[in-house]
Amino acid sequence: MPAVSFDHVCKRFGETRIVEDFDLHVEAGELLVLVGGSGSGKSTILRMAAGLEAVTSGSIRIDDRDITRLAPRQRDVAMVFQDYALYPHMSVRDNLSLGLRLRKVPRPEIERRVRWAGGMLGIDALLDRKPKQLSGGQRQRVAMGRAMVREPLLFLFDEPLSNLDAGLRAQMRIEIGALQRRLKTTTIYVTHDQVEAMTLGDRIVVLADGRIQQVGRPIDLYRSPQNRFVAGFIGTPPMNFMDGSLESENGRAAFVADGVRVELPAERITALAGSEPRTLGIRPEDLRIAAGSGSLTSATDAPWRGRVVLVERLGGTSHVHFDVGPHRLLASVSGESVPEVGDVVDVQVLPARVHLFGADGRV
Amino acid sequence: MRLFVRAALYLGLTLAAITFIYPFLWMLSSSLKPPFEFGTLALIPGSITLDNYRIMWSRAPFGRALANSVLVAGTITAAVLVLSSMTAYAMARLRFPGRRALNAATLAVLLVPGQLTLIPLYTLIVQLGWIDTYAALIVPYLCNATAILMLRQFFLQIPQSLIDSARMDGMGELRILFTIFWPLARPPLAIVAIFTFMGSWNEVLWPLLVVRDQQTMTLPQLLTVFALGGGAGTLGVSLAASMVLVVPVVVAYMFLQRYFIESMAGAGVKG
Repeated sequence: MPAVSFDHVCKRFGETRIVEDFDLHVEAGELLVLVGGSGSGKSTILRMAAGLEAVTSGSIRIDDRDITRLAPRQRDVAMVFQDYALYPHMSVRDNLSLGLRLRKVPRPEIERRVRWAGGMLGIDALLDRKPKQLSGGQRQRVAMGRAMVREPLLFLFDEPLSNLDAGLRAQMRIEIGALQRRLKTTTIYVTHDQVEAMTLGDRIVVLADGRIQQVGRPIDLYRSPQNRFVAGFIGTPPMNFMDGSLESENGRAAFVADGVRVELPAERITALAGSEPRTLGIRPEDLRIAAGSGSLTSATDAPWRGRVVLVERLGGTSHVHFDVGPHRLLASVSGESVPEVGDVVDVQVLPARVHLFGADGRV
Repeated sequence: MRLFVRAALYLGLTLAAITFIYPFLWMLSSSLKPPFEFGTLALIPGSITLDNYRIMWSRAPFGRALANSVLVAGTITAAVLVLSSMTAYAMARLRFPGRRALNAATLAVLLVPGQLTLIPLYTLIVQLGWIDTYAALIVPYLCNATAILMLRQFFLQIPQSLIDSARMDGMGELRILFTIFWPLARPPLAIVAIFTFMGSWNEVLWPLLVVRDQQTMTLPQLLTVFALGGGAGTLGVSLAASMVLVVPVVVAYMFLQRYFIESMAGAGVKG
């Protein structure tokens, strides 16, 4: 399987910059996930790789072959679309085989590949049906089958699961992951759903405003986000943020914001200077809460006092929203003992697990 | 009470249907009547005769005119379907400089009455030396702004991902138009086909201007010349000729009516 490189790729529509300086190497056989909100440029990057959108500057290569100016059909790339894009007037069999027929693949070979994909995806009984006679999940499988039979150099997935209901989405997510590991085809997968990104990707690229925010393994993005955007984007429920400043006394430093103080370990502050405005980030699972005052034995600091404003019980875990001074925070709590709305709780922060961002949003 | 309303409704609809169908049935029946029966409004002829058709056929080259009409209307319909859908596809789905201007120009063409272009068009045909040729009958109607706009509107609704997918499958634009868009656009294409065919089939004024040779005349033109020139002699012969004119359109409609109704019904409930 080939590797794919994007070399300083830019895309502009007139004065509007859609993608800026996208520079990335996708390893052979890797499943790379592009994740970002709407307007982040992720789909445009995918469409440029497919040849459906022209590149304004920069180049795209599959191994050593420059495909930047090639038409879609010359690239040997297959794409799965968000709305599946099956030809409504053709049977499943024709949908699967059309691309091969246009490439003049011999008939027995087409038959073999259609049977292979049909068997692998469990759609061999549906080959004579029309797309409208299929369920959403079945259509999704046919769309994947259509990409598979082409045996392309590169798979592109454009939010393929966003039209499915939650249960089916989880199931198809697992199937896509398993399929990709089996076929070992280099894959670029676009999604706005960070759960999909975290569970599927060998690596994740987080995009905002057409620029790469961070590239890395899912767990690295989660543990060490390089900026506030990535920190807020990766992780559900999202990270809590508080704006404040740094204070240092007697060689010790602390983060201070309206009524909140967090002592910071020495190694966290060496790179941080002065008292310029900072943002503190805390993951909801890194906040400990306990009902009543004084029940938490503080490790480093005096616990904060918070008032619970909302509790979302999800079964195994609960999301507790509470106010500490002017800050609305969210803690993820597992187990049975969950405070009620209106309770006053003690809140404890693990200083080693907090994230600090400078005024520019960077670590 | 409900039964009464329903009965009244059906009565009203039946009367309306009779109003529309009666003249046609009367024309059919009268074309089969001997001359002495024309005065009555009865639908069932006392005796049936094909004399009117025989006389019509012997007095003027109606067979030839029928073939001319089929050739002219058929060619125009096929050309309008192909050329208008190609134009509509480009206007709806391709990005090129001047696309908006082209849209506006196409719309503007609709606002120009046909009578206004008649004289310049006639002068052009004379200068091209096309008088008494099929080209004079066919070429001015090869492309049609109404058809372009109607198909463009439909093509705009086809999802972009279908085009993208076809491009990735290896199709060029023409193949996308004819293998993906055409099958999906059957209802609007059927409407365009019927209206174009009917419009061209019934056209009298233009052929009267550019064709004088009987061998090149279309059926409605020959019929008009025949009836107005007194060639028909009796009303029965005129009606027989009118039947020959009407039947192909009715047959064409019967073939396409499924799409026609589908498209008319679909216009309001596009989902």
